[in-house]
Amino acid sequence: MGALLKSEWRKLIYARAHWGLLIAGILLAGLSTAVTPVIFDNPDTGFGLSLDQTQSVDAVYANAISAYFFAIIIGIMLMSGEFRHGTAVATFLTAPKRGTVLATKLVIAAIGGMLVMVISTAAGLAGGWIALSFFPDAASPTNEVFINTMLAAVVSGAVLGIIGVALGTLVRNQMLAITGALLYLFVIDPILLALAPDTGKYLPQGLIAAMLALDIQAPEFGIDTTAYLPPLTATVVLLGYGAVFAGLAIATSLRRDIE
Amino acid sequence: MAAIAISGLVKTYGKQNAVDNLTANIAKGRITGFLGPNGAGKSTTLRCLVGLSAPTSGTALIYDKRYRDLDNPLSQVGTVLDSRGFHPALTGKQNLRVVAAAAGIPDSRVDEVLEMVELKDAAGKRMKNYSLGMKQRLALAGAILGDPEILILDEPANGLDPAGIAWLRKFLRKLAEGGRTILVSSHQLAEMQNTVDDVLIINKGKLIASGSMKEVVGDGSLEDAFLALTGGEL
Repeated sequence: MGALLKSEWRKLIYARAHWGLLIAGILLAGLSTAVTPVIFDNPDTGFGLSLDQTQSVDAVYANAISAYFFAIIIGIMLMSGEFRHGTAVATFLTAPKRGTVLATKLVIAAIGGMLVMVISTAAGLAGGWIALSFFPDAASPTNEVFINTMLAAVVSGAVLGIIGVALGTLVRNQMLAITGALLYLFVIDPILLALAPDTGKYLPQGLIAAMLALDIQAPEFGIDTTAYLPPLTATVVLLGYGAVFAGLAIATSLRRDIE
Repeated sequence: MAAIAISGLVKTYGKQNAVDNLTANIAKGRITGFLGPNGAGKSTTLRCLVGLSAPTSGTALIYDKRYRDLDNPLSQVGTVLDSRGFHPALTGKQNLRVVAAAAGIPDSRVDEVLEMVELKDAAGKRMKNYSLGMKQRLALAGAILGDPEILILDEPANGLDPAGIAWLRKFLRKLAEGGRTILVSSHQLAEMQNTVDDVLIINKGKLIASGSMKEVVGDGSLEDAFLALTGGEL
């Protein structure tokens, strides 16, 4: 498996598109935390939060994790890219045991997703720190917010990378898999969250928010993290999603002929 | 023991038998031409042989084992299929290094095979900028990366210009001199007549002729024999 890991690692670092995703993630996370204090500082757009509240400043830093969907895209590209470019032929000729290939991809996608999240989140935290320095009345963040955000970046990056590979195995069409994932995360998930808030804590975005262990209460805007799962439970549930998708992929898509 | 043994192989897509109860043996150390009209089931047979397609029934074995059960298959079998299997955004060298790493082959071997297929100067070029002939050479480089005893080549001359075909002929002869078993499908019948030792001809998924070139062709040409056997379809 060591040889396969080396091969998959090379696929990860050789493809320019993956570097593009990392750069995009850094820019998005940095911009996201840099803009949030400006939004919170404006009473018309501040969601009832203001920068003199610790929870608001924590929420600014928590935005550093906003590039999480790039982790899932990397996972999708690692797997569905094999079918899109026909490289699955070379991959499965070299390593015909498909379950082993999938397991290796899950490991590399977890590492890739984690790296993207750690680097982009660090950039986001730096962006937030710089932006908040322009607001002298801003409260201090809690001691835990930085470590919680970085931990959430590590875990969510790894888990979302795994989910991405599983999705990319199930849905071999790369564009369909990426579009479907983004549609779910940014349209369907928020709608489900609004329609059934109690189930929202079990959905990916609710689980990622729970991993941050933030304490934000703004129920009028559908935000009340106190009802979310404990961070460790949220992580396990998110990993469960990955395991179910990977299991489905092994049972279905990987049994199909390789064209 | 045959290097490759296909026994009662059936591959069905819907109601259509792409391969229909095919049985054939490929002798060790021989070059065998695998011929048939378009859609005869050649590529499907080869895909079943290397485990990319699952047979509906029957077996296709290499040294008495399924491809997936071979230890480090790349060191035993080199394969070129019609889909190239390389990433267009990676350079030729990067593509081969990905494959080499998976098979535990040192990177120095990548440089060697690139030189063998005369792609050393284009090694740093992205694959999407390769001509069809260069892509074919890269595919051949991938096939010989593990210095395998058996080569399975599906239409390796497809899209090659006359100079490319001449190069391929020399290249295959050189490989065959080393005692390798080569199973090659092609439509270049004149080329095949000069290159292969044995012939397998299939039509509509069924084996219609097999044997040495002399046995199948007699005193005529391979093209005449092929057209007579397949009812004029080429």
